Amino acid sequence: MKKILCLSLILLLSSGMMVCSAQESMIEKVQKQGVIRVGMSTFVPWAMKDKKGSLTGFEIDVAKKLAGDMGVEVEFVPTAWSGIIPALLTGKFDIIIGGMGITPKRNLKVNFTIPYDYSGMSMVAHKVKAEGFSSLKDFNDKNVTIAVRMGTTAEQAARKYMPEAKLKLFENESQALAELNLGRVHAVVSSAPMPLFHALKYPEKLFVPIKENFTKEPIGFAIKKSDHDALNFLNNWILNMHASGFLKEKKAYWFESNEWESFVK
Amino acid sequence: MLNNRNLKFSTVDIAVIIVIIAAIALFFSRMNTILEYRWQWETIPSYFFFLDAETGNLKANIFVKGFIVTVKLSIWSTFIGFFLGTISGVMGARGSFEQRIISRIYVETIRNIPSLVLVIIFYYFVSSQFLDLLRLDSCLRNSSEGIQQITRFLFAGPEEINAFISAVIALGLYEGAYVSEIVRGGIISISRGQWEASFSIGLSKTKTFLLVILPQTFRKVAFPLAGQFISTIKDSAIVSVISIQELTFQSMELMAATFLTFEIWTTVTILYFILTFTVSNLVAFLEKKYALR
Repeated sequence: MKKILCLSLILLLSSGMMVCSAQESMIEKVQKQGVIRVGMSTFVPWAMKDKKGSLTGFEIDVAKKLAGDMGVEVEFVPTAWSGIIPALLTGKFDIIIGGMGITPKRNLKVNFTIPYDYSGMSMVAHKVKAEGFSSLKDFNDKNVTIAVRMGTTAEQAARKYMPEAKLKLFENESQALAELNLGRVHAVVSSAPMPLFHALKYPEKLFVPIKENFTKEPIGFAIKKSDHDALNFLNNWILNMHASGFLKEKKAYWFESNEWESFVK
Repeated sequence: MLNNRNLKFSTVDIAVIIVIIAAIALFFSRMNTILEYRWQWETIPSYFFFLDAETGNLKANIFVKGFIVTVKLSIWSTFIGFFLGTISGVMGARGSFEQRIISRIYVETIRNIPSLVLVIIFYYFVSSQFLDLLRLDSCLRNSSEGIQQITRFLFAGPEEINAFISAVIALGLYEGAYVSEIVRGGIISISRGQWEASFSIGLSKTKTFLLVILPQTFRKVAFPLAGQFISTIKDSAIVSVISIQELTFQSMELMAATFLTFEIWTTVTILYFILTFTVSNLVAFLEKKYALR
């Protein structure tokens, strides 16, 4: 209850703040200051802290490459996911590079670049609680509870595909997964490949009920509205990175292998 | 104190101790068997310090960094809180009618809104409007290495300075309201006789207040104020909602990355406990040493 109150407060306040814009382009500002401030939040394996306390992950590699190509330093601002859009709008950082799915609702508040990656929703379920469940229909039931991270596209996907099921919202994925391990919810919905990794970690307790991802969503950088110069620059940068194979190579490393796991844990 | 008394265990005491031990044992056995939680304590120490392979030195990791930020936050917001609270408290106890109104409005407003809401309002509204205009972060980025080192040591680096300062001010405002009530109560509690005695030896009103009343007040309120400092340390966890890199936020990020939920929360609990328990024991020691007799 408290969180919902706070969230609506943030949105209210930040919408009042958007009035005072009409500034120079983010690109110029960043180059003048010599540093780009990137808003992100921990999502395995998009962005996370490694053993040495420094950030690592797919998004981190992308952001570092972007900063390198702009000739500026990169500064990461870890932010709670539920407050990341208000924080961008109030200028706590210049850009969100955090695996943010492009959705119409978000797009009303921020500008998105063209997608630099696609992700999909996947699900991990409790073997005892969700015994025999094998399709979204099985989960779409009044007696089913599903845990998701608040404010994510996982929440939207769960609402869309399982409207009958009860939702439990958490600030972090680890809390949702802890709830699943305790057997208090039937399943956790989250971006692939995390659900699969988690099921592999507890094979006698958890399983992946639906093998394929049940959504496909484009992922883009988010910046403040009405900054077309920055949007043009970023779109073309992404086109270049697709063409050069950089994004494909990074995706293969972070999502299809698990070499990186030994650096994190 | 315990060692001054003869310690005698009655059967009730023994029963209580047995029940507590049994409860703890039951908790862990449930954890292991029913919940099948896989404890992985072995990685936790590396989140305090890790060996840097390049230089061969031990380096502080997430827990230590977060702990230091929590301490810095608590100390600075306590300074602000004590400063504001003392002014407001004196105004509330001895001020003119208008001053008393101002003090009451401050205290009642702050005390009647949740600290969480105050911190969020302050971060998204007040600090975006005023603090960001000061361009403290870009000033700091352009300044020399030495100045950057000092501010990093005392406050935070340029990447976090704005958020850090708005958190400190918000927490300081919040604590100030409670300090104000402590100070006001302390001043009022000094008996009228002290005032009358001072007047009768020819001291002015201001001099009486500064030389006679305030020192006595200070002795009375010193320990409640120390208690307020301890609660500031605990309240500082709230600023994790505005993504300050303090102990709670850092640990939540770490949990999101490693999924070691129970290990990390346990460690965080112990760290907060060590911090506040040390301070409260220090206060108890000083209280015993300097108590009014």
